[in-house]
Amino acid sequence: MSKAPTEVSLPRTTRGKRPVFFDDPAIDQMMTFLIELTTEVAVLRERLDTVERLLDAGVPVTREAIEAYQPQAAVDAERNAWRDAYLKRVFRMHPSANAQAGDPPQGSGV
Amino acid sequence: MAARAEEIPTPNIDELFRPTHDERARQSFVSMLRKHAIIDLRAAVRRHYESEVAPALRDRGAEPTHWRDIERVMEPDPLHRLYSTLRYNAQEMCYLSVQPAIERALPEMIDLARDLATRNPAGGTLRLDPEFEVPRYLSALDVHLAPGWVTAEHTEDDVSQGAVVGFGGKVFTGQHPYRKRPGVVAESIAHWIQRTRPGFQPRRILDLGTTAGKNLLPYKSAFPQSEAHGIDCGAPVLRYGHALAEHEGIAVHFSQQNAEHTRFPDGHFDLIVSSFFLHEIPLKATRNVLRECHRLLRPGGLMVHMELPDAASVSEYDNFFWNWDTHNNNEPFYTNYREQDPLRLCAEAGFLPADAFKLTIPDAASFGEERYARFLKGELAAPPHGSGGWFIFGAERRG
Repeated sequence: MSKAPTEVSLPRTTRGKRPVFFDDPAIDQMMTFLIELTTEVAVLRERLDTVERLLDAGVPVTREAIEAYQPQAAVDAERNAWRDAYLKRVFRMHPSANAQAGDPPQGSGV
Repeated sequence: MAARAEEIPTPNIDELFRPTHDERARQSFVSMLRKHAIIDLRAAVRRHYESEVAPALRDRGAEPTHWRDIERVMEPDPLHRLYSTLRYNAQEMCYLSVQPAIERALPEMIDLARDLATRNPAGGTLRLDPEFEVPRYLSALDVHLAPGWVTAEHTEDDVSQGAVVGFGGKVFTGQHPYRKRPGVVAESIAHWIQRTRPGFQPRRILDLGTTAGKNLLPYKSAFPQSEAHGIDCGAPVLRYGHALAEHEGIAVHFSQQNAEHTRFPDGHFDLIVSSFFLHEIPLKATRNVLRECHRLLRPGGLMVHMELPDAASVSEYDNFFWNWDTHNNNEPFYTNYREQDPLRLCAEAGFLPADAFKLTIPDAASFGEERYARFLKGELAAPPHGSGGWFIFGAERRG
């Protein structure tokens, strides 16, 4: 309570019991690493996309120009379509043991 | 001087949130991650269950008849595990992705909220209770995996949890087809009230567990002559909500009170509402809240809660789907709440059984007026809760 507003560091962990979804909790931890890493790649990709769009527009690429870049609705829609397709590629499931031969794998077309 | 002050628009506390390019990219991606889990994978898990898992069990004469049996079968399923881990991690990342920008903006946000709480340019009020005791069920864990949830205070006159819950919520709903705009639940309920009770003009409205008033403000727009009140246990969310409402130019009265036992007099309100609230508190507290609603409503008054559909209103598979949040989203009272019959809860609180109702109403923003007219005539059902419809229950208070 006595901290100055400039000194506040918000808590990054949640109070409460964390569930375990996999047989080995290490896999739960690995999934967090993997999802965070997938997110980092998407962020990097978007930064590159911004750089390319600045170059296309003939704007000198500076850190300031990247920060100031505001995507138009059409760019946003294009980026969302990329994010959606990218997620589906990365989190591609193996076909389940129950699936009949020739069935599309689980998670495809979702 | 006064005339000049009126010309200056009230600053928007939300605009002090200025994420960097990469922080914005992260937030946008997390919105899509969350959509991938809650929309796409949710549907894929269901298809997988219906087309592969259930038939295989049926062949063995072991088809589940209770949602807990479905849960037992599905928990080790690889697709369900992927869905679960993506949903859980995306939920955490909603809040993690907004925290750095909030930390940077915090000093300015607090200054602005303080200033608006002194000036009240729109005519609203903010009443906090320094002696307020946060109930244990709220302080013991972080609901929705939001670190600090609505009550944590990290500095004097803190608003940070208002920003964390608000902006985290925007990431959460960013790609959800029916939740992109804030306040859609209140808009839908207000629309339903106006269409089903054309003469109903509430003088005083109360929203319980209002957080920053997202689902309170639309009632003031729908019923402009009303006096609108919002209560919550969390001071930071109320401070934030007050600053937002003053910017919007909407006079709303926020106060820090426990909905189980408020300070308002008997029969003070014509309309009492809540959304996404009762399933977060223990059943005992829910019963107290409903009794308090009965006390606070004037004769002829109306109570409407948007809630999760109760277990008896949906299929066993849907119960399996909904109850996931109980253990995996820090909502420990969720399953027990859903086991209750809302109509019976109303009767226990003092409402006449004949005056209680439960139904799914259409999402006003997406349903369309022509279809709405057919819904009112009983020709068309509303889509399921969360997929274009909202489940509500409540009662009128007679006499």
